[in-house]
Amino acid sequence: MSDPSTKDSATTKTPMVYICGECHSENEIRPRDPIRCRECGYRIMYKKRTKRLIVFDAR
Amino acid sequence: MASINDDKPRVILNEFKTTQNIPSVLDQTFHIKTFKKNLRVVIVRLDNLELEFDLIGIHPFIANTFRRLMLSDVPSMAIEKVHIYNNTSIIQDEVLAHRLGLIPLKADPRLFNFKVADSGENDQDNLEFELKIKCTRIKDENKDSSRIDDIYKNHSVYSKHIKWIPNGNQAETFKEEDVGPVHDDILIAKLRPGHELDLKLIAVKSIGRDHAKFSPVATAFYRLLPDIKLTREVEGEAAERLQKCFSPGVIGLRHLKDGRTVAVVNNSRYDSTSRNVYRYDDLKDAVIMTKIQDHFIFSVESVGSMAPDVIFTEAVKMLKEKCMSLLDELEQS
Amino acid sequence: MPIAQLAGNDPSEEKSKTFVFHDEGHTLGNVLRCVISSYNDVEFCGYTVPHPAESKMHFRIQMYEGRAIDALKRGLTDLVKMCDHTIEKFNEELISFKTENQLNTEN
Repeated sequence: MSDPSTKDSATTKTPMVYICGECHSENEIRPRDPIRCRECGYRIMYKKRTKRLIVFDAR
Repeated sequence: MASINDDKPRVILNEFKTTQNIPSVLDQTFHIKTFKKNLRVVIVRLDNLELEFDLIGIHPFIANTFRRLMLSDVPSMAIEKVHIYNNTSIIQDEVLAHRLGLIPLKADPRLFNFKVADSGENDQDNLEFELKIKCTRIKDENKDSSRIDDIYKNHSVYSKHIKWIPNGNQAETFKEEDVGPVHDDILIAKLRPGHELDLKLIAVKSIGRDHAKFSPVATAFYRLLPDIKLTREVEGEAAERLQKCFSPGVIGLRHLKDGRTVAVVNNSRYDSTSRNVYRYDDLKDAVIMTKIQDHFIFSVESVGSMAPDVIFTEAVKMLKEKCMSLLDELEQS
Repeated sequence: MPIAQLAGNDPSEEKSKTFVFHDEGHTLGNVLRCVISSYNDVEFCGYTVPHPAESKMHFRIQMYEGRAIDALKRGLTDLVKMCDHTIEKFNEELISFKTENQLNTEN
């Protein structure tokens, strides 16, 4: 897909958004941050779905 | 077998085999002159979606070709591409896309062109729709209600939520109610708070051979006209038993003046031609079940984009155009 | 787009030929076969779809006399006539059915 160098810089600049498995609140987590929900302290986090366009054949 | 000595070509349904009264119509040669002389068309039932008509005096291969053409060669419009911007519902992208493809559309395929690979942006060969919906929790109202309609907004996505986006000058040529889904209550997905759909749908024109969703008919079939004859009088309990051997309405009971009840054939057209009579030894000899070999009862059930009579005429036109273009090519070479 | 092609036949032999129809199948194959095989000067007429995954149809005509291609042309013209007549008869019946039952006679 995209080459690793640009990907690295993108991840450090824009933090990824994760959704808490317990309270469903959105959390911004940077690399090296503890994987923990800021609202409830739950440690299971889910990645948000990409906003990128995906095209499917309706077959 | 004396009473079936008319000139109609019949298949006689015996207990364990079928026989014919005269040589099969399959063996008769096709002649355009005799075809024109013999063909009769009788329309029996017609409404917006269903058509039942008889083609009398044709060969089975012609009937079968018309049926095949209606099923897989008459075009219609259906959703072909699904652009998924967001889908956080529990239904998977590809399953959702497949479901959307099967939704019948009202758009008249005769007003569109087939999509060509490199046509680019073109308002003649596609329709665009949008499906944007988000499920939310209804806060204040009916706090203690557990009815799903009271708690969630947009918890079910129906085909009525699909919105048409006119391309080019489509807005002038079409109206929203002429192109959208045939039914507005088709359940597409179920959502819960936080779930969201954001889709763009592209519908194109194609034929049933490409994919079943493009078939303009729900069903199109033919069957031979059944004809049932009673060779002797059947009365009393036996008559009631005889009535039960056939589809409802086929055998009637007539009460005679002398108090007897006898069986009569009311209408053999809608008989399922099951051979239940042959289970009873005392009724076997009372009935002759036949089918008229050149009398085809066609039943066409439209999906909704075209009237069923239009589908049939389109099918015949398709065959004609096929032959014409082949003739053209033969002339050129 | 259907294209009628001649498979590798001896060009001098006009009496019997195999035609290859692209993008055609049993729908056209069977009617055409039945129509053509009913002609008196046709010795044999048959069709096959060699493989269901390929949309190709092979069509064989063998004549007692005359050219195979003429029988094919005659078959196609007869089918066109047949279609015209069927549409005509159907529309006649449709109009009379609609007026009888007071349905609107648009389209």
